[in-house]
Amino acid sequence: MFFKSAISLQELNQYEQGRSLSEDAFNRLKKNKFALFGLIYLSVMIVLAVFAPLLAPYAYDAQDLSLGATPPSLAHWMGTDIFGRDQLTRILHGSRVSLMVGFVATAVALLIGVLWGTIAGYSGGKTDAIMMRIVDVLYALPFTIFIILLTVVFGRSIFLLFLAIGAVEWLTMARIVRGQVMALRQQEFIEAAVSMGLSRWQIMSRHLIPNILGPIIVYTTLTIPSVILLESFLSFLGLGIQPPASSWGSLISYGVETIEEYPWLLIFPSLFLSVTLFALNFLGDGLRDAFDPRSSKD
Amino acid sequence: MLKYFFIRLLSAIPVLFLVILITFILVRLAPGGPFDQERAAPPAVLANLNKQYHLDDPVVVQFKDYLVNLLRGDFGPSFKYPTRTVTEIILTGLPPTLELGLYALLFAMFVGISTGVMAGLKPNSAQDYIPMTIAMIGICLPSFVLGPLLILGFGIGLEWFPVSGWGDSPGDKVLPAITLGAAYAAYIARLTRGGMLDVMSQDYIRTARAKGLSPARIVGLHALRGALAPVVAFAGPAAAGLLSGSFVVETIYQIPGLGRFYLQAAFNRDYTMILGTTIFFATLIILFNFISDVIQAWINPKLRQSLSK
Amino acid sequence: MQKTKLVLTLLFTCAAVCTLISGCSKNELTNVEYGNQNQILFVANADEPQALDPHITTGEPDFHVISSLFEGLTRLNGETLAPEPATAASWVISDDKLTYTFTLRDNAAWSDGEPVTAEDFVWSWRRALTPALGNLYAYMMYYVKNAEAYNTGEITDFDLVGIHALDAKTLEVTLASPTPFFLQLLDHHSYYPLPRATIEKHGDFDSRVSSWTLPENIVSNGAFKLSSWEINKLIAVDKNPHYWNAEHIKLEGVRFLPINDKQAEERAFRSGQVHLTYSPQMAIEKIATYKKEAPELLRVTQTYSNYYYLINHTRKPFDDVRVRKALAYSIDRTSLVENILKGGEVPAYTFVPADKQGHKPVAHFSENVALAKQLLAEAGFPNGEGFPSFEILYNTDDNHRKVALAIQQMWRQNLGIEANLLNQEWKVYLDSQTSLNFDVARRGWVADYLDPSNFYELLLSYGGNSNTGWVNTAYDKVVEDARLESDHLKRMALFEQANKIIADEMPVIPIYFMTDLNLVRSNVKNWYDNVMHRHHFNDVYLETEAN
Repeated sequence: MFFKSAISLQELNQYEQGRSLSEDAFNRLKKNKFALFGLIYLSVMIVLAVFAPLLAPYAYDAQDLSLGATPPSLAHWMGTDIFGRDQLTRILHGSRVSLMVGFVATAVALLIGVLWGTIAGYSGGKTDAIMMRIVDVLYALPFTIFIILLTVVFGRSIFLLFLAIGAVEWLTMARIVRGQVMALRQQEFIEAAVSMGLSRWQIMSRHLIPNILGPIIVYTTLTIPSVILLESFLSFLGLGIQPPASSWGSLISYGVETIEEYPWLLIFPSLFLSVTLFALNFLGDGLRDAFDPRSSKD
Repeated sequence: MLKYFFIRLLSAIPVLFLVILITFILVRLAPGGPFDQERAAPPAVLANLNKQYHLDDPVVVQFKDYLVNLLRGDFGPSFKYPTRTVTEIILTGLPPTLELGLYALLFAMFVGISTGVMAGLKPNSAQDYIPMTIAMIGICLPSFVLGPLLILGFGIGLEWFPVSGWGDSPGDKVLPAITLGAAYAAYIARLTRGGMLDVMSQDYIRTARAKGLSPARIVGLHALRGALAPVVAFAGPAAAGLLSGSFVVETIYQIPGLGRFYLQAAFNRDYTMILGTTIFFATLIILFNFISDVIQAWINPKLRQSLSK
Repeated sequence: MQKTKLVLTLLFTCAAVCTLISGCSKNELTNVEYGNQNQILFVANADEPQALDPHITTGEPDFHVISSLFEGLTRLNGETLAPEPATAASWVISDDKLTYTFTLRDNAAWSDGEPVTAEDFVWSWRRALTPALGNLYAYMMYYVKNAEAYNTGEITDFDLVGIHALDAKTLEVTLASPTPFFLQLLDHHSYYPLPRATIEKHGDFDSRVSSWTLPENIVSNGAFKLSSWEINKLIAVDKNPHYWNAEHIKLEGVRFLPINDKQAEERAFRSGQVHLTYSPQMAIEKIATYKKEAPELLRVTQTYSNYYYLINHTRKPFDDVRVRKALAYSIDRTSLVENILKGGEVPAYTFVPADKQGHKPVAHFSENVALAKQLLAEAGFPNGEGFPSFEILYNTDDNHRKVALAIQQMWRQNLGIEANLLNQEWKVYLDSQTSLNFDVARRGWVADYLDPSNFYELLLSYGGNSNTGWVNTAYDKVVEDARLESDHLKRMALFEQANKIIADEMPVIPIYFMTDLNLVRSNVKNWYDNVMHRHHFNDVYLETEAN
């Protein structure tokens, strides 16, 4: 459906030259103000996260029990939690875990999901059937038990967190990609590519995946925030980070308990998550448009 | 084509078998047993309990027995709720979960598709940004945040809706459905908008426009069909996710659904309950994925052709 | 655009419908309003009961329902917790305090009108002790002669067990050792009489899976009978007309709502869905709000319980008593209780809380950072140098997390040692404790009955509940002696000895004594706070403008 029936072989060949594709894309991206905002915001956020220990005004686990939870003030811009810990500091430190989990786990999910879906969708037949039934099996397994086992067998580590999240998030991605690829693979330009004698790998990487970038990017930008939140559930089960370390997800889930008493404990971490999400979406839309094979002509 | 779907349905059997086998192994590997409690039970009592539930048999025998009973439609007794059978619990928990999931899905589809279409028709305009921003809030606010917020606002504050309960008064299904559906609405809105953008630049839409068809007709007759493909692919997993992931909403609103049991069973090491609910949800997931495949094929003529070859 | 208009119209229609629906529901009575009109008490009951078979279930919410349905020989007074005659009208205790002879009330009856007989008790207690049934609370009956032997299969002849029906209304119980708190135990669900005919009709008497507790089948002897049981939604009990004291029961019924989320529970209370919350805890952050805005609704009661940290004696350096003492002396319990827990908890400097029965354990230590540092230095870790980093294990829970966070910080600041937090899901946490796979772990204990032995027996080296690897034969001896001692003062002296040994050896670190936090509407009368968190609905009623 995302093809151009009248596309010429010359155009096809042009896309094969990665240089022009990415360069064009970046130029287009630069023109999109929202996407540019998204890119800049995310870059700033990543810098903040990396240098959090240097930038944060307090130590992330420094308690002041007698101070307790206080609303935002000059000393504590985003208030303090019930342990008297500085909220801004904890959000900055939390961004390290959350962004890392968000990006790495999503990247893992993306890699497996796109490959799996493309191969299944393009191969069709038995290969497709078996691959998609494996997806079905994994979908159906009780996730909680799986996580509990992971923690017990392998102990705690941040990599396990990526693994656990990647293990579930790639499934939906695979299904979406497969659906798109199946729709595409009967198109003339793919058939043309086949007749040109391109290998399956070349067809998949050069013709199929670029043409389904839209849904992939959209779904990816949606996956990142849900992964960031999933982390808090996993931490709850004992996997992932342990207190006093913080993450946006855990700050939000603790904050929700005190919505009425200490609203700032929910508002600020939610704000960071939300703005990040919007930035991701702007960037995602921008990328989608930028990489769209047709957009240059529109 | 029919043959393809028939084979697809048949393949559910090995899938289910694998799910049962793997789950069976997983739950037994997990530390802690169904009868562990803070005060240690005397070994003699524990031995008796294990005997009564045949947990002292070799695992292979237990698995075989479980399968045999399963084929007879017997999911066994629950360990956590000893006087009840798993079948009984699933049957009582199912209607609220299905109902909640259905309302949430309808809400998500309605809000998601209409928002996505609106946004996709006039990209990068106010008509795009405002609805999409509202839809995105659904993702920023996970159900465990949105739920309490809605309750405090519309339940306790405005007193429009009850704060909890299910089926006791007409309004008590509104907030849970919105809470559960919000995140999915945002996903669907995004996917629809993306699909719309792709479709609206297609030649056949341009042709339709050139012919002077009204925008409503273009959307209704031509664009939607293509734009919804990614949504349909997402709908299968979404429906399954709505059903098996409803425990947060069920807990917040105290809905007597199956989602609570699904999660609790894992924490309780309620072996039969874990297996029972897993098999049940697995069947649903397989079914929904199957249906979404069928619809995908249906809205895509090319795909339909290739399948019937 | 037309499509847009259509969508907008639909959205507005939807909003309008929503408003309409809500408009209707507004006029309905809340549960509390309905209950007040009909003398029906709505209770937020922590969780869905596992079962209503008293010999099978182990859950606290289950007992709340069960104690309304069944009645034992005695019943604990809600205010004083003193055992009072219930199904038994009177009793005689032999001089050696080993034989109890109970006389049942003539009018004690089951909800189907049949009389409650001594034989009913014998049959029920036999069922409770039958090994195949796997009653996890059978140990509560081990005070009866030979009960333990029968339950563990050492003997198979139930006649040897110390319970006999002398005639239809006379029951004789022989104990293994003088048990000063035995009359209290009789109000424990293990000792309640169960309806033999009903149980046998719906399955084998030693089968756990049975439908005898369903509303359509169950027969009970308490003030209420089961009317309906909707899983995860509602349990309704209504007045039992055949109850011997039915004319004095003021409540027409009780409705138990299984609300297993603390936040949801508070919201249910606030919005008038329940009269009171029966779970022992409430959302911590709401405490301050209620204290400030509606103190009359908040009930804070210190309970007969303790909260402590287990230390794994099989791991170095925790096998060194100086290290254990240093850890214990450097926790600022007052700050913890006042700034973090906020629920009126009491700092603990003894393992066992003081009680009204006469045990007043002496506090042999207090917070002393200087001494703690000195002890740690003597143990070879001056200023914490060289102390291995270790883990504080707790099960996933907001309170446990908060306590661990605060203590982690105190140990770091006061001793210079580094503890990491480790939360595990409940069953994994239990497994780690029994297999001694931890360094320091949190533990809380709520007494089953009002006697110090409850707590002291936890630390017996062979009891299976110590979970520390601590072995001290002198301690074991003292606690065993107390079990056999029939003289009250001597017994209390033995407990004090045990208390001293704990302070000297510090096998575990006492932290605080827990409280119950409940929300109770002010028109609920005769709902007494007590240290055992035990309530009967017999005297409770709802005060309304009408009465």
